[in-house]
Amino acid sequence: MVLIKGFVNTLADPRLFFLLACVGLAVLIWKREQLASSAVGYGTLGFLGIFFVFGTFDPNFRLIVTKPDNVPIVGLIFLLAFFVWYSLREGVLNDRRIAAGQGPIEKAESDRVWVWPDLVYIELIALVLCSVLLIVWSIFLKAPLEQPANPANTPNPSKAPWYFLGLQEMLVYFDPWLAGVVLPGLIIAGLIAIPYIDRNPKGNGYYTFNERKPEIVLFLFGFAVLWSSLIVLGTFLRGPNWNFFGPFEYWDIHKLAALTNVNLSEYFWIRMLKTGYPSAWAVRELPGIVLVLLYVFALPVLLGKSVFKGYYEKLGPSRYYVTAFLFLAMMSLPLKMLARWILNLKYVVAIPEIFFNI
Amino acid sequence: MAEKKGVGHAYNIDFLNVVFAASSLFLFLSVVWMVWDDFDRDWKNTQRRFNELEMQVTQAQLDTAAGSVDKARLAQLQADLQAAQQGVSANQAKVAELQTKLKEADNVLFRATLDFQSVKATYDQDRYDFEATRNAGGSGVEKKEQRALGLEQRLNELTLAQQKAEADRAAVQKELTQYTGQAADIAKQIQTMHSEETRLRKQIDTIAPSAVKDYFRNAPLLDFMAPTLKVRQIILPNVVDDVNFTRVPKMDRCQTCHLAIDRKGYEKYPQPFTTHPDLEMYLGGSSPHPIDRVGCTVCHEGMGQSVSFVDAAHTPGSEEQKAEWEGKYHWEEPHLWDYPMLPTGMTQASCAKCHKAQVYIPKADALNVAYATFERAGCYACHKTKGFEDVRKPGPILTKIESKLSPAWVKNWIRNPRAVKPTTWMPRFWYNSNNSAPEDAVRNEAEIDAITAYLFASAEAYQPAEASPPRGDAAAGEALVKSVGCLGCHVVGEGERDQIGPRRTFGQPLENIGNKTSYEWIYNWVRDPKHYSPATYMPNLRLTDQQVADVATFLSGLKGPEGDAARATPDAAAVDAVLLDYMKGVMPFADAQAQMAGMNPEQKQLELGRRAIGRYGCFSCHEIKGFENAQPIGTDLSEEGSKLVTRLDFAFISDIPHTSKIAWFRSKLHDPRIFDRGRVLPPLDKLRMPNFDFSDVEIDRLLTAIMSFQREIQPPAAMPVRSARLDYLAAGRTLVHRRNCVGCHIVEGDGGDFLQLVEDPSLGPPMLTPEGARVQPDWLYAFLRGPITIRPWLNVRMPTFGLDDPALNGIIDYFGAISNTIGPFQTHEIVQTASVEGTGKELFDLLRCQQCHVLGEVPKDQPTSNLAPDLRMSSERLQPDWILGWLKNPATILPGTRMPAFWPDYPKSAFPQFDADAEAQIRAIRDHLMTLRGGPNPKIAAGATRAAN
Repeated sequence: MVLIKGFVNTLADPRLFFLLACVGLAVLIWKREQLASSAVGYGTLGFLGIFFVFGTFDPNFRLIVTKPDNVPIVGLIFLLAFFVWYSLREGVLNDRRIAAGQGPIEKAESDRVWVWPDLVYIELIALVLCSVLLIVWSIFLKAPLEQPANPANTPNPSKAPWYFLGLQEMLVYFDPWLAGVVLPGLIIAGLIAIPYIDRNPKGNGYYTFNERKPEIVLFLFGFAVLWSSLIVLGTFLRGPNWNFFGPFEYWDIHKLAALTNVNLSEYFWIRMLKTGYPSAWAVRELPGIVLVLLYVFALPVLLGKSVFKGYYEKLGPSRYYVTAFLFLAMMSLPLKMLARWILNLKYVVAIPEIFFNI
Repeated sequence: MAEKKGVGHAYNIDFLNVVFAASSLFLFLSVVWMVWDDFDRDWKNTQRRFNELEMQVTQAQLDTAAGSVDKARLAQLQADLQAAQQGVSANQAKVAELQTKLKEADNVLFRATLDFQSVKATYDQDRYDFEATRNAGGSGVEKKEQRALGLEQRLNELTLAQQKAEADRAAVQKELTQYTGQAADIAKQIQTMHSEETRLRKQIDTIAPSAVKDYFRNAPLLDFMAPTLKVRQIILPNVVDDVNFTRVPKMDRCQTCHLAIDRKGYEKYPQPFTTHPDLEMYLGGSSPHPIDRVGCTVCHEGMGQSVSFVDAAHTPGSEEQKAEWEGKYHWEEPHLWDYPMLPTGMTQASCAKCHKAQVYIPKADALNVAYATFERAGCYACHKTKGFEDVRKPGPILTKIESKLSPAWVKNWIRNPRAVKPTTWMPRFWYNSNNSAPEDAVRNEAEIDAITAYLFASAEAYQPAEASPPRGDAAAGEALVKSVGCLGCHVVGEGERDQIGPRRTFGQPLENIGNKTSYEWIYNWVRDPKHYSPATYMPNLRLTDQQVADVATFLSGLKGPEGDAARATPDAAAVDAVLLDYMKGVMPFADAQAQMAGMNPEQKQLELGRRAIGRYGCFSCHEIKGFENAQPIGTDLSEEGSKLVTRLDFAFISDIPHTSKIAWFRSKLHDPRIFDRGRVLPPLDKLRMPNFDFSDVEIDRLLTAIMSFQREIQPPAAMPVRSARLDYLAAGRTLVHRRNCVGCHIVEGDGGDFLQLVEDPSLGPPMLTPEGARVQPDWLYAFLRGPITIRPWLNVRMPTFGLDDPALNGIIDYFGAISNTIGPFQTHEIVQTASVEGTGKELFDLLRCQQCHVLGEVPKDQPTSNLAPDLRMSSERLQPDWILGWLKNPATILPGTRMPAFWPDYPKSAFPQFDADAEAQIRAIRDHLMTLRGGPNPKIAAGATRAAN
């Protein structure tokens, strides 16, 4: 038992956790034909269920999972697993039909839509059942009156509402102006831009995977790995002082984690060139600034001429550059995470003189 | 989805009907459940139970009230009533006619009043209209004026009509009263006899169960209109809650369950229905802390807005109560409120929130003992605390240590003081939970040796006044020590420190003093303490040299254990290692080595001693040469009671709740180094608060003190009104507590510990609460400077404290402020006529005052407990007005006094003089007393002393 808990605690380390999430996504897509079976889907749900039941025998796990604020995230884990699997399965089934020349099953009877009473009726039932769920939920999970908010005595850890925990996790790696303003802004702008960028008419109104491979992979990476799994991580695994705690670990406020992060300029000037910092910050941060400029402006061009050549031709220059920019902005998060974990990199560009850090 | 084919439906509609029906049912049930969950509250059940109890109690009161009615008088009245009614019946025709007329007159008056009122209303409106139009310069002013004037005319007529109707009715009523008045009078008397019953009956009517109340007004969903079960709250603009961004009036809903807290008659019922234990002082309408101005949580703390037992943050007073609550209420350690309720024993800590102008507060006995303990343990010396800034250092001076102690004794003493003197307040610095491992012994002993060496090396020479004093008699000395008053401040091995209390441990314990110091030193100390330590609080008891020798002989014979022996013998290398450890913490390693290279072993030891004294803060309590300007080393405690629990480090101590501030403090006081447990720390990073071996009782006292150190948030409106009198009281109380006057005397209900050691209270130090009214200020000043013997038959004596003038005046002002007789000038007229003087003397002899009172010589035939002061002192000593009150009723001034009350029937008197007028008799005796002369007088004694000096 202790071994299993220790093993799970180890897996929950953010590096392993993130790595596993990426590997899991890759395996899911690669082996989708095998994984699309009902046995795997229900098996996964069953396994998750058993894990949670097993976990609740542990006081630390129970404390964190049954906290009224966190209960929705438990639901989120199950729902996310189910719907990812479900959509993938439906996609796989349709892909087989398409390959056999039958067309997707949703198009089989495209001349008919059952609105009344079928759709309206089940919507009403869904509404009633959701009301029941919310009422019972509100009876069981209390929201007690607490002490007045005190700016000098904030809770430790101070957590954002669950739906912002992904953003809060980004704050670990980026400066607030990036993690709190620029990147969320880009997420919204990017979501709005999707219909104007994505001109692939396939997969419209039916499940499919093969016809929209890169789009779905990209979406799953952004939503399931970068957004949802970071919410799970922020909810269950971040404890006092924003330290990491395994799900079976006691939240000890005294836990220490060695953090000696360095900026890129230190790598360049002190470790590589073995000199001191130049006195002007513009010179000091030149390597970082050049790197960022290359990442934002040169990399899309290079990619467009090499790996994404096909896309460049398909989308045309303006669409391609917008897409590439959004893609690189999204990828900046995992890249920065990797840089932090592997190189202890704090900032690529660090200019405290004008409160500007990247 | 395969069966989507063909016409019809995507789903089986019959099945959906069933699902819809079922889910609708679930929705209905969950809504019912929700309503019930919202409706079903513990406090409602509490109110229902109280309702039953209230019925019982009121019914019992009603029975008592009914039983206490004077039956004979009632029967008499009823008989009278019957007779009177017969008289009425005899004139039945006339009465009936008059009653008809009265009814008519009522009708006329009613109509006249109605007419008058309606015209008055119209007139007021029109007049305003006219006034407003005229002032605004509007049109139609004349017309409006005419209308108003017309109405005014009419109004005057109606006023006359109404007055006439009133007069007519009064005339008829008068006529009727002639026949029925007597009966009505008697009926009213009967009603008055039943008034209490009637009141209780009405009360029962309102609280009695009824279908409307129980099933309609309090029904779910209807109970928003006019429920009888409702949250009862008081909003208190005078006391506030700090919600961090602003301060809001307190809102206490405690009375929702504690329904009888401010009502008499529920004392014997358990919580939550009991009456407050002290309604005179708290909550009562005429108490100084009425509930509608002070509320509950400003004293008790807790979340006043909450009406649930757990959320209100109740705190159990004991482990048993905690277990009981856990079973009964699912109680858990409050963590949703920063300031949970104080355990009941500590509630007085909150007094300090508003009574902040003073440290010691009358009637707050628990808090006063708490502060006395805080002072005795010397907490304030290391921990700066508001209100305790000016208290002197608690330990004796160490600047002349060489003439008093030996190094061997000092080492044993500081190694473990309580092994030498179990009642001492000196704490243990070494061999505590974080430094008693075997490997710590060498470092401990090195520090002990070094500190001792430093103290002796830095001591200055002291030349005793008597270098070779004579020996005395130990038995006589023991008798003196036990009777003369030493025990007001000192103990001679009498059990546990917490039982003896902080007042009698004011001075150092005398047990084992023979091992501590020399006969010569004790002799010189007792003879004149200020010779050795000019700032000491130890007073001079004015003993003769022979008596001093007796006392010193007795004390130097008090010997006990030597204390703990050294557990290691550190060599020079060990001293070097420890010193290097100290020095490298404050300077670079190389510098430390270089500095040490230039020292010889003795210098190294002294340097280590100096640094160790600095680290442990010995200088906070003791005067030590070289540390005159050192700052205290502890955390500031001024706002410790408001500290949030998140600011406290529980480290690896997991067996106490991490949500309880009190639990943290308790653990810390129990073992000050406990939070080092399980940690890996270099020696100089370890906790260094010494261990006082506090008992649970002492810890509770200190917790009360700590919890009273609150952040100031209450507005000036909550504070007692400032006045010169209050300032005198505050300063004086502080003085009598800090000088330990309360060790011997009872002042304002506090203290008098010495009295428990004498068999008869009248043979102990007097109670001083009425002192300001009793004695003349200039006499008191002279007395305090040079006390004289007032009661020669007492063994205990008032010592000479050698107070300075500000302190003496502070005491005089304080006593004056207690009795509200501030100021030395009091007029009184002595009536000097021959007859008065003669009668005064006559009464004086008649009452046999001399039987107990000294008049030049002590009466021989009385037991000593009956003896009373020399009356020849009266004119210089006593306030003339006070004598009057004293003679009238001595027991109200000094409860338990042996002075008899000669005028129990005041203002009547059992004696014939002055036509048995008690007041005149008392004045005559007083005036006679004021003519007596020749008693002992401190003013003359002081003059004599001055002349002798």
